[in-house]
Amino acid sequence: MQRDPSVFLVIADMGINLIERFAEAFPDRFVNVGIAEQNMIGACVGLANCGYKPVAYTISNFAVHRCFEQIRNDVAIHKTPIVILGIGTGYDNASLGPTHHILDDWGCVRSFPGLEIHSPTSCAYASPLLDDLLDRGASAYVRIPKSESRYSESSEPMVYLPGQDQRILVCTYGGLAPVAVEAQRLAPAISALVFNRLRPLSGDAIASVLSRHQRVVVVEDHFAETGLYSSLCQVAAARRMPVAIESRAPTDYTLTVGTSPAFFLRSFRGDASSLAEDLR
Amino acid sequence: MTQGEPAVTPQAVRRTILEMLHRAKASHLGCSMSVVEMLIAMYASVDVGKIRSHAPDRSRIIVSKGHCAAATYAVMMHYGIIDPDQIRGYHTDGSMLAGHVSHGVRGVEHSTGALGHGLAVGAGCGLGLRARGYSDASVLVLVGDGELQEGSVWESLMFIRHHRLSNVVLLVDNNAISSITHTHEVIDMRPLAARFQGFGLMVAETDGHDVAGIVAAISDMRRSPTPGVVICNTVKGKGVSFAEHQPIWHYRTLSDEMYREALGGLGNDEEACRT
Repeated sequence: MQRDPSVFLVIADMGINLIERFAEAFPDRFVNVGIAEQNMIGACVGLANCGYKPVAYTISNFAVHRCFEQIRNDVAIHKTPIVILGIGTGYDNASLGPTHHILDDWGCVRSFPGLEIHSPTSCAYASPLLDDLLDRGASAYVRIPKSESRYSESSEPMVYLPGQDQRILVCTYGGLAPVAVEAQRLAPAISALVFNRLRPLSGDAIASVLSRHQRVVVVEDHFAETGLYSSLCQVAAARRMPVAIESRAPTDYTLTVGTSPAFFLRSFRGDASSLAEDLR
Repeated sequence: MTQGEPAVTPQAVRRTILEMLHRAKASHLGCSMSVVEMLIAMYASVDVGKIRSHAPDRSRIIVSKGHCAAATYAVMMHYGIIDPDQIRGYHTDGSMLAGHVSHGVRGVEHSTGALGHGLAVGAGCGLGLRARGYSDASVLVLVGDGELQEGSVWESLMFIRHHRLSNVVLLVDNNAISSITHTHEVIDMRPLAARFQGFGLMVAETDGHDVAGIVAAISDMRRSPTPGVVICNTVKGKGVSFAEHQPIWHYRTLSDEMYREALGGLGNDEEACRT
């Protein structure tokens, strides 16, 4: 916001102890719309109509699910330059229950043409991302995990972490990057392919990595039907690759309380210990 | 009205609408006829030249009830914003003029069709124009009375009121019929003015077929520090006797015979501009 006077931050009453510095520094380019996410997206589109570069911020489940039609009609159809920043992914809000589990957010909007989807796993990727999106006038949904991940300083959209051999490849993204890294530490044979960008994907580069492994396991805290598992299956199918891709992902919402993401990951053996045990 | 702009008459616009709908065998007659005077008044209230040139400080006209596309395009044509040739493509293969308002048509700010979207975009425009210092620019948003049932409309109204976006004026096409039946039989919001007043907004109620009255109401609202709503009491299907007040004319298309009857019912108008 300091660098670009056309950036306008719009929030839906979320971000305590985070957004205050922006509100104080740039009062003319900050607005809190209140608990009104549909209006948040619409107002951002209006700001874009007036030449601003809006950044919409709230928790991921509200940003996407509440505003599905606004993102489709007002953002995707109009190719509106906007960055929708959602905080929280997967089971970040573990104990808050299924309304706050974020298992189907990017899958809901991944069919919208032109909408970029990023799920940063590191500050090295996330830090320059916002400037890049704003400079390009992109329409983007960026989902930020609450966990801090420092597994890699790579700013690439996709990071390959080779294991001791090339039998097993674990693919994941966002908040589960540390899980893949820990699984690799426990079982050094495991290779990992970690995604920062979920859409668009570099199909040929992905296919090149997949083809070097005997077994591919996609681990995600998102439903597989619309998640990375689905994306990688499409990549493989389009190239008629003879590769079997397995999924470890939640299959339903749950009313069972868990106080940490790990509790839920264990339920589908997507935690580091289970992966290391099963795939060593 | 901006000097030098054409004097657009409701009869001429209605004739154009009938031609468009008949030629394309398209629906949405009732909801197009109800807003003719409103749309004329909206364009008469702003600098149309800046809309034609897409100037950054232009006023924004947002038609949130996108199903009145035929009326919107007809009025835009009569104001010289889009070409008659373009109008002839309405609702045909390869044209940009769909049955709902589209920003693929130059001069249209925002595509609509799903209801409850336009006012939020208008609110953002109001905020953006104010932040840019374009104090002369207005944001005029047209919604239907049935559309008021969408909760997002009220999100935006609260926002507009809280931030005193007096450059935004909401115009309600209060034609008393929503999609399939009378609005009050679905969700009774009468007295409508009190609803808006309860949200802290200025409210004017006017004959929605009186262009001068609507222009005056918009002007009053723009001078008020409190954002305003103009409730325009209209007749769905106005000007086409067999369609007036009839919900079915949201959907029905014109036969050749009906078309001739409807045209005859409009009467002659020297200023009519045939396409």
